[in-house]
Amino acid sequence: MQTAQGSAVEQLTADGGAEYLTFTLGSESYGIDILKVQEIRGYDCVTRIANTPAFIKGVINLRGVIVPIVDLRIKFNVGEATYHEFTVVIIINVLNKVVGIVVDGVSDVVALPAQSIKPAPELGASLDTRYITGLGTLNDEMLILVDIEKLIGSDELQIVDSTVDNTQKEAVNL
Amino acid sequence: MTTPSGETNSVDLNRFNQVFFEECAENLAEMEQILISLGDREPDPEQMNAIFRAAHSIKGGAGIFGFNDMTVVTHVMESLLDRLRNQEIPFAPEMIDLFLEAGDAIAMQLAGHREGKAVDQEVIDGVRARLQQAIDAGGRATAPGLPADHAEGAPPPQEELLPRRCRLAFTPDPEIFARGIRMESIISELAELAEPGEFHSSARLMDVPELAEVDPERCLTRWEFTMLTRASREQILDVFMFVADEEQLQIEEDEPVDRRTPEGEPAPEQGIVPAAGRRAYDSNETAPGAFGRRGNETEASFRVNVTKVDQLVNQVGELLITQAMLSQIAVGLDPILHETLQRGLVQLERNTRDLQGSVMSIRLVPISIVFNRFPRLVRDIAAKLGKQVELKTTGDSTELDRGLIEKIADPLGHLVRNALDHGLETPETRAACGKNPTGTLQLSASQVGGRIVIDVIDDGAGLNRERILAKALECGIPCSEAMSDEEVWQLIFAPGFSTASEVTDLSGRGVGMDVVIKNVQAIGGRVQIASEAGKGARFTISLPLTLAILEGLSVAVGEEKFIIPLNVVIESLQPKPEQLKSVNGREVVQVRGEYLPILKLHRIFNLEAEVIEPQRGILVLVEADGERGAILVDALLDEQQVVVKSIETNYRRVEGSAGATILGDGRVALILDLPELFTMHKKL
Repeated sequence: MQTAQGSAVEQLTADGGAEYLTFTLGSESYGIDILKVQEIRGYDCVTRIANTPAFIKGVINLRGVIVPIVDLRIKFNVGEATYHEFTVVIIINVLNKVVGIVVDGVSDVVALPAQSIKPAPELGASLDTRYITGLGTLNDEMLILVDIEKLIGSDELQIVDSTVDNTQKEAVNL
Repeated sequence: MTTPSGETNSVDLNRFNQVFFEECAENLAEMEQILISLGDREPDPEQMNAIFRAAHSIKGGAGIFGFNDMTVVTHVMESLLDRLRNQEIPFAPEMIDLFLEAGDAIAMQLAGHREGKAVDQEVIDGVRARLQQAIDAGGRATAPGLPADHAEGAPPPQEELLPRRCRLAFTPDPEIFARGIRMESIISELAELAEPGEFHSSARLMDVPELAEVDPERCLTRWEFTMLTRASREQILDVFMFVADEEQLQIEEDEPVDRRTPEGEPAPEQGIVPAAGRRAYDSNETAPGAFGRRGNETEASFRVNVTKVDQLVNQVGELLITQAMLSQIAVGLDPILHETLQRGLVQLERNTRDLQGSVMSIRLVPISIVFNRFPRLVRDIAAKLGKQVELKTTGDSTELDRGLIEKIADPLGHLVRNALDHGLETPETRAACGKNPTGTLQLSASQVGGRIVIDVIDDGAGLNRERILAKALECGIPCSEAMSDEEVWQLIFAPGFSTASEVTDLSGRGVGMDVVIKNVQAIGGRVQIASEAGKGARFTISLPLTLAILEGLSVAVGEEKFIIPLNVVIESLQPKPEQLKSVNGREVVQVRGEYLPILKLHRIFNLEAEVIEPQRGILVLVEADGERGAILVDALLDEQQVVVKSIETNYRRVEGSAGATILGDGRVALILDLPELFTMHKKL
């Protein structure tokens, strides 16, 4: 069993594939690189921050660390932004930042070989194709693969402050 | 030997290297400080000894840790110092500059080993040659037939002892080889201390295990040395610096051979005396010069890794939050039924506060650490610019957070450079203006309320309003003639601004002042400028005392809670309708004859508040940076200590907040930044 898995992973890395965490936004299925995921938790106690775009829900206390929360449903304009006990927050760790993203539900962890990932067509949708690595197919279902690092680092999301560099931030990093 | 253990060894060695690097840097800093304080005077014997000790420690450490290139310069320097100390060579003022350059060369080598920076071998060879020249020149100037000493330098006359027989028993730590210590170098150093032909050593093996279990890296040998020596006990102990603990080395000294007690030195004690410890935290270590350490080091201290302290501060912060949470839960409990619990909680609160105070004090360091860098900088720059400058510092012992100290050094350096380059005039100009040709640059630090204020004051020409405005216009920075002086001064902080008519290698590249303000703002500070034409300028940096913990007032606005730093709060009140007025559509409140603008948090932060009418809510009167206002909130909740957390770690800067904290219920609350809030209010 273990060896079988091991060889599967080896094979994946050999042909450029990776493992993805899949989640749903409304009726669409998305996937992000599992290695960027830190943990998954429920949605509660978000402190609002003034004068921010609607998709920034605010910040939460994650065991003493202050983490911003982005609602991808609002950002991508899919599904309905409702919050209840089944609303899920995926905590991701990219660009030395910890960020939470709100999704409707987390489905699975899947391994996708590189050849099953097709480039995304130009759609003109609110989710810019720049942030889509490709469209994966899994059991006849389509999976939108998001380059979460690029998305979080983008100017649109306004999470990464380009005016202050990282060295200065550490001053108040307690 | 297996690979894993090999790795551990190299890591261990690395750790010792770090200790050496730190000590070396400290020794260099101390040496430089003494040299600068001398000016052109001849050092007194105590200062001379201190410089010598610093050089000797660097050399000794470098030798032990295998940085042989570093011993080269130090060795020549030490020889010259030794000759000076023994008055074999007359002192010359140029030597101070020479020693300073030598210090720089060593610092460069240190940086080379520590951070892998490039080392300019030419500079090092040059310094070394000139040091050697000074020795040779001095040697010719005085009696040429001085007794040729061995390379280690002769012991100073007051420490010179008559030859006596010493027996040393050294039982090393079994891990000694793993620490990279080489016995042969210790033995040869010892042999140099001994009279010629009067050194014997023997080695004995102890408790040898079965051959199969022998680890060649464990030291099982015990050494015994017998020698006839003139060296003092300290010199012998110096050889074992970094090598032996007090229980590992025993020294037995006989009476001097010719039975005369040497002058000024008490007769060595008879019998086996355990050597004094050589660890920095050993309280026995008070003898000046012992082990090449500073003589005035009276308080015992030891080094702790900074990350450990930071971890401790973080953990205390978490404890504070937990304690606040428990207190909050206990509020809802019947005080009679749960009397013991309540008492316990009060006790807990007191203890946490004490603990927090102690932990925070670890992080506080005196600002003299930064100030001490400037005498050298000022001396060098003044020499380069041909200006005469006297540097004064006051409030050196003002303490602030270690994290801040590191961040403030650069901006402060910029301001000092700027004052020297643009502020102070040349001696001729000054004399022409009827001023003292020697300009004064003053650095002062003090604590004002919850903030640290650092002033950089020069008595130079002051800022030139017309030139700044003209330059701002030229650089495309928005400005107008109608601006107040204060606003004009702030223009120099705009990116790309520089008034220097020519670019020097010190300043004037237009990257400077905007970096200063950026760096200062990044640590929650502000810069204010006061200037008077012809009289001088004053740059005032004000910084928060610590970044980690803050006394705050928690207030509620609708669903949200905010923290107002307590040091800005004057009072809070429920306004009466007659106190509320309107000025040009803006609401103000009249308090004791003063009209204060009302800052409505729910409007500034776009919140849904319960209270919109000021007379139904509570006004918190605040003052920050000389500006006053009244913040409208729904309710006052609590006065508490909050742990400041950075929002910027994972998110961007949030306008109007100086950070965030975690409340007892686990929620995040923003800490208000008053000056920014005033600005936001004006923009509404």
